[in-house]
Amino acid sequence: MLWVDKYRPKTLDQVIVHQEIAENLKKLVTEQDCPHLLFYGPSGSGKKTLIMALLRQIFGISAEKVKVENRTWKIDAGSRTIDLELTTLSSTNHVELSPSDAGFQDRYIVQEIIKEMAKNRPIDTKGRKGYKVLVLNEVDKLSREAQHSLRRTMEKYSASCRLILCCNSSSKVTEAIRSRCLNVRINAPKEDQIVKVLEFIGKKEGLQLPPGFAARVADKSNRSLRRAILSFETCRVQQYPFASNQAIPPMDWEEYVSEICSDMMREQSPKRLFQVRGKLYELLINCIPPEIILKKLLSELLKKLDEELKHEVCHWAAYYEHRMRMGQKAIFHLEAFVAKFMSIYKAFLIETFG
Amino acid sequence: MILSSDEEDDCDYKPNLHRSYTKKPKSRPFITRTNPRQPKKPRVSGSRSRSSRDSPSLFEVGFPEEDFEELFSGSKVSAGTPWLWFSVRRLLLSSILARVGSGTSNLNELWVDKYKPHSLEELAVHKKKVEEVKSWFEERLKTTKGNLINNVVVINGKAGVGKSTTVHVIASHFGARLCEWNTPTPTIWQEHVHNTNTGIQYTSKLDEFVNFIEKIRKYGLIPSSSFEDAKPSIILLIDDLPMTNGRVAFERLQSCLLHLVRSTQLPTAILVSDYDETDSTDHTAQRLEQLRLSLENAGACKVSFNPITINSIKKTLSRICRQEKCSVTDEQLDLIAKACGGDIRHAITSLQLFCVKPDLVLNGSFSTPSYSYGKEDDIDALVRGISLLFGRDETLSLFHALGKFLHNKRETEVANAITPGDAFLVRDNFSRLSLKMDAPEKILCQAHGQARPVTDFLHENVLDFISDEAMDDAWHVSSYLSDSDLLLSSFRGMLARYNEAENVLQSAAASVAVRGVLYGNSHPSPPRWHAIRKPKLWQVEKSMLHKQKEIVRQRFIAYNGSSSSNVSDVATEYMPVLKWLECRASGFEDNQALVYCNKTHDESCNRMSLDDRESDDDEIEEW
Repeated sequence: MLWVDKYRPKTLDQVIVHQEIAENLKKLVTEQDCPHLLFYGPSGSGKKTLIMALLRQIFGISAEKVKVENRTWKIDAGSRTIDLELTTLSSTNHVELSPSDAGFQDRYIVQEIIKEMAKNRPIDTKGRKGYKVLVLNEVDKLSREAQHSLRRTMEKYSASCRLILCCNSSSKVTEAIRSRCLNVRINAPKEDQIVKVLEFIGKKEGLQLPPGFAARVADKSNRSLRRAILSFETCRVQQYPFASNQAIPPMDWEEYVSEICSDMMREQSPKRLFQVRGKLYELLINCIPPEIILKKLLSELLKKLDEELKHEVCHWAAYYEHRMRMGQKAIFHLEAFVAKFMSIYKAFLIETFG
Repeated sequence: MILSSDEEDDCDYKPNLHRSYTKKPKSRPFITRTNPRQPKKPRVSGSRSRSSRDSPSLFEVGFPEEDFEELFSGSKVSAGTPWLWFSVRRLLLSSILARVGSGTSNLNELWVDKYKPHSLEELAVHKKKVEEVKSWFEERLKTTKGNLINNVVVINGKAGVGKSTTVHVIASHFGARLCEWNTPTPTIWQEHVHNTNTGIQYTSKLDEFVNFIEKIRKYGLIPSSSFEDAKPSIILLIDDLPMTNGRVAFERLQSCLLHLVRSTQLPTAILVSDYDETDSTDHTAQRLEQLRLSLENAGACKVSFNPITINSIKKTLSRICRQEKCSVTDEQLDLIAKACGGDIRHAITSLQLFCVKPDLVLNGSFSTPSYSYGKEDDIDALVRGISLLFGRDETLSLFHALGKFLHNKRETEVANAITPGDAFLVRDNFSRLSLKMDAPEKILCQAHGQARPVTDFLHENVLDFISDEAMDDAWHVSSYLSDSDLLLSSFRGMLARYNEAENVLQSAAASVAVRGVLYGNSHPSPPRWHAIRKPKLWQVEKSMLHKQKEIVRQRFIAYNGSSSSNVSDVATEYMPVLKWLECRASGFEDNQALVYCNKTHDESCNRMSLDDRESDDDEIEEW
C-alpha cells in the first residue's frame, strides 16, 4: 500500500492539515442536519480525505465498507435508448460516482441515475440519519446542461438525500449550484504543514530524516500533499538512509514536458513544430490532461525565458488555455500555442542576435 | 388546371390518387426518395406501370412554383449527394413534361425509354466491349449445360454507361429470354406502418433477394408452359444489388452471390455500378468494390465499361434530335455531351429538358433570366449555365481536394491591374496572390468534405508544406485551425447534427480551416511529392480513450479502494510513481528507470497502432 493511502487520516479527529475545517465539519454534522456541501480546492489538498472522514463521522464505520459496482444503465432518451456504463462505489449509506466519466452524456447520468438514487429513501433502521449521501466527483467537468439538471435534483430530493460535490475550481460550477451548497474551500497546505506531515510519516515508518530534507520534498511538491508524500516514498525506495542533498525523482511526464520545452527553445521551424506535436500526442495518450500540459509547459518556458518575453508568452498561454476549454480537440490549441511561442521567440532571437 | 390535364391523359402515372400516402410535410417533398443510390429506371415511364404504382408519392405534381426556381438555380446542390440531386432533376423533368405534355403528342414518354437502343448497332457503348460481352454470352448459350464453371459475368462501370441496356440488347439479339432481378422499391416508413396495420408481414429486401437467388441456384428457372415447346435460352440479369447495411448483412449478400457464381447453371450477368472514387467515404461504394473483387476471385468473368465518349454521345443525341425534329445547334449538343461526364442516360434526359425549356419560357412559368442562351460566343458562361442546368456535379476525391489546399498553387504574378473601384487596399504583408483554383468552398463541396475530417487532415499534413523558415506562417495556420476547432465544438453534446444552425457552423468551420491554411501558408515549401497521411490524431484519441478506461478501472487503487479519485490525478501522480516503484522493484538502475518508463509508453503506443490497423474499417465507418 502506498503511504498516501496508509497514512490517510480516517476520522476527522486524526486530520493534521486542515484541523479547523475538520472541527467545523464535525460540529456541523453532530449538531444539526448536514446541508449540501461543495468542497473545492487544488488537487492534493485533502478534499477527498476530508469527505471520507466526514462520511465516517456521519455514518460510523459502515461508511468504510464499500463495494465497487459497475453497472450499465439503460436510459430512455425520447427516440432511442442509451446504454451508459457507470462505475459506482457504494456503502449502505452513501454512493460515490464521477458523472463526468460519461463525457457529453453526463446530462443523462444526472437526470436519470442520480435522480433514481436520490429518490429512494434509505430504510431508517434505528432512527438514525434519514438521508443518504451522494458524493459526486469532478463536478467542474460537468457540462452546463448537466449542472442545470443537478440543480433541480438538489432542490427536489433534499429531504432524502444530501449531495457532497467535489471539484478543483468552483468557478466552473454554476452560481445556482454554489448557492445551494455550503461551500468549503480547502486550501493547498502550506509547506510547513507538509513538512509536519512528512515528519509524522517518517516517525511512523521509523525513518531518519536528515535536517532540511522534508523541507526540500515539500518545496518540490508544489504544495500538493499527495505529491509530497508520493515523492517522499519514491525517495525512500531510491536511497535510504536519506542523503540531505538527494535528488528527488521528478514525474516522468514532467521530464518529458521540459524536454519538449528545450526542443522549442533550440529550434523554431515547422519541422520542429511537427516533432513537438508528436511528443504532445505522447503525453495525451497517457491521459495527462492538456491543461496541465500547457501549464507545465509555460512554467518550464518561463524558467528559461528572457524577461521581456515573459508577459507576452503568458498572455498567449492564457489565450489558448481559454480556447482549449471551449474547443473540442486540445491538440489544435496546444499546437497553436507552441507555434506562437516559436514565432515570438524566433523574432526575438533575430532581433537580439541578428 | 394542371392536375386535370394530367388526369385526362392516359398515362398511368397518377401519384396524387394515392392520397392515403401523401401526408408528407410539404417542406421536404424530395426526401421521400429513400434510396438515393440508384435512380435506375424512370418511374414515370409508360412501360413500367408497376414501379410507378409501387412507389407512391414520390412527388406531387402540383409543385409550388418557388420550388422549381429554387431547384433550378442550383441552390440546393450543396447537400453533398449528387445522386439525390440527379434523381430530383429527373423527377422534375418528368413533372415538367406532365405539365407541358398534354399538348404535345407523346412527350410524356422519356426519351431515355423512347430511344432505347434495340440493336447492337444503336448502342453507344464501345464496340469492343459489346463484342466482348456478346461473345461471352454466345459461348454460354451455345454450349448449354456443358461447362459448369464460370457462368457469371460481372459488368461494372459508372452509372449511365449502358450496362443494362447492353445486356438487354444482346439478349434480344440472341432471342434469349431475360430474367431480371430488380431490387424492389424500398418500403418507406408510412408504407410499412400501413402494411403492418393491414397485417402484411415485412420482409427485408435482402431476404427477398437471397430467397430469389437460392431458388434460381437450386432449381434453375422453371420455364412457364407457354415456352414449353420453344425453349428459348435464358439469361439471368441481376441489376441493382440490394442495399446492405452493416457487416453482417453484407457478408450474407456476399456469400449468397458467391454461391451463385460457383453453382449457377444459367448465364448470369451481375451489374455493379461504380461510384466515383470520391465516394470513398461512403461505405456502400467500398463494399461494392469488395464484393466485385470477391466475385472475380470466385471465377466470375469481369467486363468493365468505360464512360461513353463524347463523340458517341453526340452521335446519339443528334440522332434523337433528328427524329424529334428539334433544332439544337451542334455546339449545344457538344456542351451537353461534355457536361454529362460520360453518362448517356443523363445526356439524353438533359437534351429532353433542353428541348422542352423554350416552351416553358413561353409559358411564363419561369421568370429566371439567368440562363439566356442568346450569346453563343461567350462559351464559358454557357458552359457554366449549361452545367448548372444539365451537367452532373463534378466530384473530386477528398485527397485531391486536400492536395489542392495543401499545395496552395497561386498565380505567379499579380493579376491584371485591379480597378480601384472594387478593390480595397491591403497592406503588402496581408495580400496574397490569387488562387489557381475554384473557390475553396466549392472544392470542398465537390469533395463531399465534412468539416471535422477535413480539418483533421489539414492539421496533420499542413506542416509539411510550409517552408522551413516560415515560423510565422506555421503559427497563422495553426491559429486558424484552432479557430476552426472552436467553431466545430460549439453545440457539442447537444446532438443537434441535423440542426440548420449546426450545418452553417460546420461549413463555416471547414471554410475557416481551408482558407486559413491557404492564406496562412504564404511561403509554401518548394513543390515535391508528399504523401498525405491519415491524421494521427484519430489514433491518438483512440488509444487515449483506451488508456482512460484502463485508468478508470485502476483508480480504485488510490485511496485504497475506499474512494475513487480523479482520472487526472491518477494519470499525473499515481501512475508515474507506481511505474517508478515497479521499475525499482525489478532492479533497474536509476537512470534506466525513466527510459524504461518511456519505452513502455512507446510499446503501448505501438500496440495501439497495431490494433488500429486491424480495425481500420471501423474507423472509416465512423466518419
